[in-house]
Amino acid sequence: MWWRRTLGTGRRCLGCRRNGEKGIWSFHTRPICSAPALPAGRITALQALDVWKTHFEEKGVTEPEHSSQYIIAHLLGAKTIESVEPQRLTEFLSKEKTEQVWQLCTRRLSRMPLQYIIEEWDFRDLTLKMRPPVFIPRPETEELVELVLTDLQKDPGAAEAHQTCLEVGCGSGAISLSLLKSLPQLEAFACDRSQDAVDLSRENALRLGLQDRLKVYHMDVIKDADRMLGLFSSISALVSNPPYLFSEDMASLEPEIFRFEDYAALDGGEDGLNVIRQILTLAPGFLSNRGRVYLEVDPRHPPLIRQWVEENVEELRYMETRHDVSSRPRFCILQKEESHKDPKVNQD
Amino acid sequence: MSSLLPFTSRMLGVSRWFMWRTAPGLPPLFRLTPPAPSWVVAVGKKDLLDLPVLLEDELEEQFVRGSGPGGQATNKTSNCVVLKHVPTGIVVKCHQTRSVDINRKRARDIMREKLDVAYKGELSELMVKKKESVLRKQEKRKRANENLERKRLFKEALVADTKPGDDTV
Repeated sequence: MWWRRTLGTGRRCLGCRRNGEKGIWSFHTRPICSAPALPAGRITALQALDVWKTHFEEKGVTEPEHSSQYIIAHLLGAKTIESVEPQRLTEFLSKEKTEQVWQLCTRRLSRMPLQYIIEEWDFRDLTLKMRPPVFIPRPETEELVELVLTDLQKDPGAAEAHQTCLEVGCGSGAISLSLLKSLPQLEAFACDRSQDAVDLSRENALRLGLQDRLKVYHMDVIKDADRMLGLFSSISALVSNPPYLFSEDMASLEPEIFRFEDYAALDGGEDGLNVIRQILTLAPGFLSNRGRVYLEVDPRHPPLIRQWVEENVEELRYMETRHDVSSRPRFCILQKEESHKDPKVNQD
Repeated sequence: MSSLLPFTSRMLGVSRWFMWRTAPGLPPLFRLTPPAPSWVVAVGKKDLLDLPVLLEDELEEQFVRGSGPGGQATNKTSNCVVLKHVPTGIVVKCHQTRSVDINRKRARDIMREKLDVAYKGELSELMVKKKESVLRKQEKRKRANENLERKRLFKEALVADTKPGDDTV
């Protein structure tokens, strides 16, 4: 277990922040993590990188080099260490800057995800604010956006008809905001059951100047189904990266996820399909005819989803499965096809 | 046949680009060249139609995401993309940005530029050598001029020091 490894060290770490919503640490011994002493004299960025990379390695912190590089680059005003001017790396850091390095790197000792430490991350061509416990966008999801964009850009009706999209479980707003940025005519609706996620999505929309075209709702696709059906209709594209992990897999998550991210954004139930099934059930109600659903899922899901939809959602047709950059089946595309069975047509 | 190219291209000077275009039957020379010198990149800019088209089927892409299921189950910040062009063996690594998607796109742009250099083969190397020798000559001339200037100033200073006009006595 991860926390057993850290019990050996002596001092309590003052920089470790516990996520208020997670009660787990009240039941176990708080992990103890010790930071190297703040240097007495001045050090350069390069030296700080080395000190912390070594320390992360010693403490079993994953991605020791990347962690120190991203943190220090961020404090020097850059996104990557490679984009910092070489001479700045060999200049002495100010006392204040050194303290900031120590403060942020110490947080990494508690396995806080880098994105929460520097409070931002990039998603495609956007920089988004990040805040625990709102789910951090994964690189696979960038490809989901590409899939949606390809279709929306091809749409022959795009010029005349007003294109809209609905995102279920928007988290930090990554997907919706990315689509809005690339499609100036698109209008987006997004919802999340977490107030924190709703707040963060709105904040990111504001920071990117996209707040006029994004409406974010605090809603649960399972509990507020009827309200949602009343609100959203004739949508061109329904997109989601819903919680899709299998409940049994939640226990083996790495500390970065397990300690800091919202479980509700991850846990899809016993077979990981609870939220997905609900989205697909409601999809025909949201979509215009020929509108599409784009889902990111677990690699085991596509055939299960295809079968389930065939048996349970008459108006949805499973179109295709797409793979991610690691060649795992990752994305499901389905299309609404209105049923031709008209119950009113009962002549004679 | 390929040995004729440098000779004739030297003769025709600027039109060597056109020569390459009109000789499509020549096999590209797949020697691994050092990173493209800036002038080649300038000529082979994305907006020019000269850059080779990339066929995804000929590419092998590597992105380290771990052996597990990836996706929501993993949160890693490494986003280095390694792209290999199978027919030529050219490999491009890109971790310029924090977005995997953008790194993948940039890796492909860099690959197109590298393929451009590879396909131009000897021709592009030639251009580089020629430019280098021109630069060397310029440097030599510059240094010679500087030396002459220094000698001149030194002589002037000597003359000024031994001038008989300073009668302070």
